[in-house]
Amino acid sequence: MHCNRFTARPITRRELLQQGAHGIGAVALASLMNDRAFGAQGGTGLQQLPHYPPKAKNVIFLYMDGGPSHIDTFDYKPALEKYNGRNASEVMGKLEPTQFDNVGTIMGSPWDFKQHGESGHWVSSLFPHVAKHADKLAVIKSCTSLFSEHTAANYFLHTGSGLQGRPSMGAWVGYGLGSSNQNLPGFVVLNGGLIPPGGLDNFNSSFLPATYQGSIFKAGKEPLANIVPMEEKSVLQRNKLDALRSLDDLAAGHFNRDRAIEAAVANYETAFRMQTAVPDLMDLRGESEATRRLYGLEDPYDKTQIFGRQCLVARRLVERGVRFVELTCPDVGGDRWDQHSELREGHENNCKAVDQPIAGLLTDLQARGLLEDTLVVWAGEFGRTPFAQGANGRDHNPFGFTVWMAGGGVKGGVSYGETDEFGYKAVQDRVEMHDLHATILYLLGLEHEKSTFRFGGRDMRLTDVHGRVIKEILA
Amino acid sequence: MGQPSDAELEFFEREVRPVLANSCYECHSVEAKKVKAGLWLDSRAAILEGGDNGPAIVPGDPEASLLIETIRYQNVELEMPPKSKLADNQIAALEKWVEMGAPWPEEEVKVDARKKAFDLEARRAEHWCWQPPVHRATPEVQQTDWPLNPVDSFILAKLEEGGLKPAPDTDRRSWIRRVTFDLIGLPPSPEEVKDFLTDEDEGAFERVVERLLASPHYGEKWARHWMDLMRYGEGYGHEFDYSIPHAWRYRDYLIQAFNEDVPYDQFLIEHVAGDQIEKPRVDPESGINQSLVATGSWWLGESVHAPTDVRGDEVLRMDNQIDVFSKSFLGLTVSCARCHDHKFDAISTADFYALAGFLQSSRRTEALMDPHGKIAAGVAQLEQIQSEASHLLEDAGIFDLPPGSPDAIANFDGGLPAGWSTEGFAFPSAPTSSIAVALGDAENPIVPRGVVHSGLLADRLSGYLRSPTFTLTEPEIHLRVAGKGNVSARVVIDGYYMHSFHQLLFGGTILQSSALDTGGKYEWKTLGGDLRKYVGHQVYLEFEDKGEGYLAIDEVSYGRAEHSSFNLLVPDRFDASSLQPYQKKAAAIAEGLPNAVRTLALVDGTPENDYVHIRGSHRSLGDEVTRRGLSALDGEELSVPSDASGRLQLAKSLVSGGHPLTARVYVNRLWHYLFGVGIVPSVDDFGVMGQEPSHLELLDWLALDFAEKGWSTKEMIRQLVLSRTYRQSCVADPANSPSLIEQVDPSNILLHKARVRRLPAESIRDSILSVSGTLNPKVGGGSVPVYLTSFMEGRGMPQSGPLDGGGRRSLYLAIKRNFLSPFEAAFDRPIPFTSIGRRSVSNVPAQSLTLMNDPFVIQEAARWGKQLLEVSGEDRIARAFEQAFARPPLEVEVEVFREFLTTQQESYQCGPDDERLWADFCHLLINKKEFIYLK
Repeated sequence: MHCNRFTARPITRRELLQQGAHGIGAVALASLMNDRAFGAQGGTGLQQLPHYPPKAKNVIFLYMDGGPSHIDTFDYKPALEKYNGRNASEVMGKLEPTQFDNVGTIMGSPWDFKQHGESGHWVSSLFPHVAKHADKLAVIKSCTSLFSEHTAANYFLHTGSGLQGRPSMGAWVGYGLGSSNQNLPGFVVLNGGLIPPGGLDNFNSSFLPATYQGSIFKAGKEPLANIVPMEEKSVLQRNKLDALRSLDDLAAGHFNRDRAIEAAVANYETAFRMQTAVPDLMDLRGESEATRRLYGLEDPYDKTQIFGRQCLVARRLVERGVRFVELTCPDVGGDRWDQHSELREGHENNCKAVDQPIAGLLTDLQARGLLEDTLVVWAGEFGRTPFAQGANGRDHNPFGFTVWMAGGGVKGGVSYGETDEFGYKAVQDRVEMHDLHATILYLLGLEHEKSTFRFGGRDMRLTDVHGRVIKEILA
Repeated sequence: MGQPSDAELEFFEREVRPVLANSCYECHSVEAKKVKAGLWLDSRAAILEGGDNGPAIVPGDPEASLLIETIRYQNVELEMPPKSKLADNQIAALEKWVEMGAPWPEEEVKVDARKKAFDLEARRAEHWCWQPPVHRATPEVQQTDWPLNPVDSFILAKLEEGGLKPAPDTDRRSWIRRVTFDLIGLPPSPEEVKDFLTDEDEGAFERVVERLLASPHYGEKWARHWMDLMRYGEGYGHEFDYSIPHAWRYRDYLIQAFNEDVPYDQFLIEHVAGDQIEKPRVDPESGINQSLVATGSWWLGESVHAPTDVRGDEVLRMDNQIDVFSKSFLGLTVSCARCHDHKFDAISTADFYALAGFLQSSRRTEALMDPHGKIAAGVAQLEQIQSEASHLLEDAGIFDLPPGSPDAIANFDGGLPAGWSTEGFAFPSAPTSSIAVALGDAENPIVPRGVVHSGLLADRLSGYLRSPTFTLTEPEIHLRVAGKGNVSARVVIDGYYMHSFHQLLFGGTILQSSALDTGGKYEWKTLGGDLRKYVGHQVYLEFEDKGEGYLAIDEVSYGRAEHSSFNLLVPDRFDASSLQPYQKKAAAIAEGLPNAVRTLALVDGTPENDYVHIRGSHRSLGDEVTRRGLSALDGEELSVPSDASGRLQLAKSLVSGGHPLTARVYVNRLWHYLFGVGIVPSVDDFGVMGQEPSHLELLDWLALDFAEKGWSTKEMIRQLVLSRTYRQSCVADPANSPSLIEQVDPSNILLHKARVRRLPAESIRDSILSVSGTLNPKVGGGSVPVYLTSFMEGRGMPQSGPLDGGGRRSLYLAIKRNFLSPFEAAFDRPIPFTSIGRRSVSNVPAQSLTLMNDPFVIQEAARWGKQLLEVSGEDRIARAFEQAFARPPLEVEVEVFREFLTTQQESYQCGPDDERLWADFCHLLINKKEFIYLK
């Protein structure tokens, strides 16, 4: 009865589809496993996707949970030094309500800014390693959000809506494009230690098929929930699965060879291979010493090591064809990037943790020829106020902040949009979250207005009824 | 304006028109691909007429012109052009142009066809769902011996029309497994299967159905469906996932309502207006006011703390409430009309705000219930004692001085002011009208007149005193109060209630316990702090005595004038000890009183209409809309009383005869749950974007039959599961050729056979518990915390629960929004954010991984295997098959298992009765597809 179906050898998608011998055609399998589907519901059949020739195949989303300060990193505002210590509303005019309603005086950045590369991007001394890649970055300085609260802003950044319940970007991308690796999920979240406010629903598939929800990976013995077999020996599980296959085959007739059941049977093969593929992915022992150093794995600061490992796994994921990889931040002790007080210490620790790993990632992706296919996005849910909160913090600022992109399809070295002279509000070429989403989808070859899913009487979109592709930053 | 001069026109052409053309016409002209805000800026007439926000300019007055305000970026809600501010000289040019009176040359004006008005009547006439159900005769069929009841005739008639034969009856084993899961969500026991198989008398099917309908587990299964619709959760989600108080009471309400077969019309009225029902439904055993508990359903959604825009937060919450209400009860997406008239359906924006008015007129409360009237009985006794004791004071000639300041928000010298109300047992329905005794405070027993005092009778009663809704005009509200113990005073701003969990941005708007403890003396206390931010908002005050101590309110005022009303004149001859016998007697009675039972509820507040929010913005108000139902459902005819929210009238209008949607939507849900796909497949959307009914005649017949037979859910379910249609096999009649099926009914919409269905998440887990012997059959009660895996992290992390959930059925696992059970989620239990009448049924490797490797599954397989060891070796496989699949194994299946057991035995090097062996065997059964699929 050993048909050796459950071999540990990775299986290609082609092979999988060829294994239609069990009474299931490739198309049926694809649709049942919900491989990709815009337009597949509502009876119009599978549409030709992508909509455009894609510029990027994968996304690595570096999610800076808590809201990094744009005016201390990438949006240089000399006026803040000039007015340092002055009353904010006297100098800046009317101020919007803030989350903590504890408005202090205007606060100049504690860090030096310098221009970098041929592009002359201003980058503060917080990001010495990323600064070396200045000419790769398209820096969007005029991002805006609609929410001052973390949770709503997190949902908005991830799903295009401020309330719980919409699918995350990664789920939309997976739904639109499917995965090119059947042994790994299409949307992977590498948990660095901090699950953002709003919880795991930031990564949900909601009304999209469950297969597109973000799978949370973390370092350790069990990198993904239920990925580790509970049997003492692998042969014990293989025996089970082989017998299971025979039993399911025997019962297929009872179920009139229902396609859903056939797909469920096929899922066991994928699941079995995932048990090997996931630990392989997370096993960094094969990486060279140079690579490890590049990503900061040897850094004395353990948070740098954590984020470095995540960045390295992110590269391995895109190498394996995983569409959307999101990284959450390690816990540096200062409540994420959310420095309502002690800006200096908190931002320094956060930057120390992520700067070298991100730079290493960009270097490595380029060296391996992956950067041109991989869109790297660096973003928080909002920025921070140019005036202090209390004595030495900054409050949330959704009215203007910075996001940067690099890699697949993005023009390096450009700067797009401006905030006012204080970095308070975006005034030139304002960008909404929906525009970021539209742009990310566009780079992957998806037209955001056509990427819909009918739910509750509406054709839902990641971009709701908004969104404009930021053509100005495209290569 | 008169004829513009040449110079003016030249200025317009040189300085103004280019700015409009370059910066505005992409969205505001005939050429625009999509016109925004209903505003055209390409003719003077269009500019004067304006868009959604009204006229764009006032000629001659730039300061009063919306266009100018907008381009100056003075209003964060309205900043145009949206991407970048115009240059200063451009802004100056437009200002000057308006100042001049907006000169524009004579030219032909192109009118945009898109300006067409929204035609609600035409939409209503065009779509089927707005027409009331029509009486339909049972259709004639050829195969007259097939139908068992009228349902079958409707199904068969359509099949015959397509030349199809229905499938043969399924075998009895498959039927009992199917009906048992459908009705109670659990597998049939081997004994139940045997009873049915050996019941050869007529009525065997009926007897099974009656047994299941009478099972307490029936209510559990159907409650869970309704929980999906009410986006039932026990945590508020957002950042810290605070617990929703008493949420589980609503879950238990559902279980009981289904078990008792509460008629659906009553059930609906209880949900919408259970607080208003003349004669609420009280459970005879528990004494719980069930009708009131039902209204808690409105408050089970996500809630945000510390919103920077509190009114915006309320608007979003109401949007969700209306979404849930309209999808669940009407099968309509009314929420789509919040920002603009519905894009497809006969629902206007005014309709949305007409419904919003009902919520605007209502409030959230933790209502206090008095099961069996025990508290009320005690209160009556206490009132008598209190009144007698108070006479002693009069006899002693004690009196207080005249009342104080007249400029208060409220003083209570002349009784409870209009719109103020009390709830519960602590606060009397009126203030003291003369000097009185407070039995609840032995140290300060004498109460002046004109005070609302929650300790007159005892210190351990609970209750509320509430003000009407008013517009806050000052940054502070002063309270002249005396308090002790566990009491609170709070300002509820735009319905915001999360300040009891987190006070950020709402510091000072709630005073609790120690902040109100005056040691019984009357003092000024102040609600202030962040309150200053909310001047201009709609607020009400709520005073609460939580059942320990008391709160006495003398005056509520924007100012805190000193006055002397508390200079009690207590003559020497009054002997306070004369009160002691009364106090003692009262204390003895109070001691024996039970605590009030709390439940989350929706109750009436101050009646008020809402206003249209232009493009959904609460900062931009349009016309006031009277509270009423949807226009397309003749909602204008609803008459709403001036002194109540009107929810009761709304609810009754939904269950009045011939309503086009209420009964249809409900019976369609029952059909969906029993047959896998609704007659209208889009069960929550009967509108244009939904799907057409496959059997409209049948739907109408069912809807009318349902209402005629008294809205009985059990009766309808009985009729459906006893139909021949429900009895079909999942294998089509061989007489139907594959090509005919392909041509006539490829997706089985006509039901030429039964659908193979995967069990819902809850049934999968419950089945595992059932076969393993772990299932705890207890019905109802508080929830069990979810077992937290190492992946479930984040703010507000709750306590982890036992791996097996204490054996409780899945609907009792706590639903914290940010910590949803991964097992249930893997099998498509929805995120509770809106009504989900139709769950998605996904088919993904994560499900395989769950059944293969989840420690819960492994543990239960081991328990099941251990139990099997008690059965003799020969019979184990058969026994397990009967438990899991309601059938004996086939010979070949036994062979597979024998071989498997042998192989496994070799690997373990163990004997044939080793526990590990049988655990593996059971684990295998759980992973067999048949375990989670129904045929």
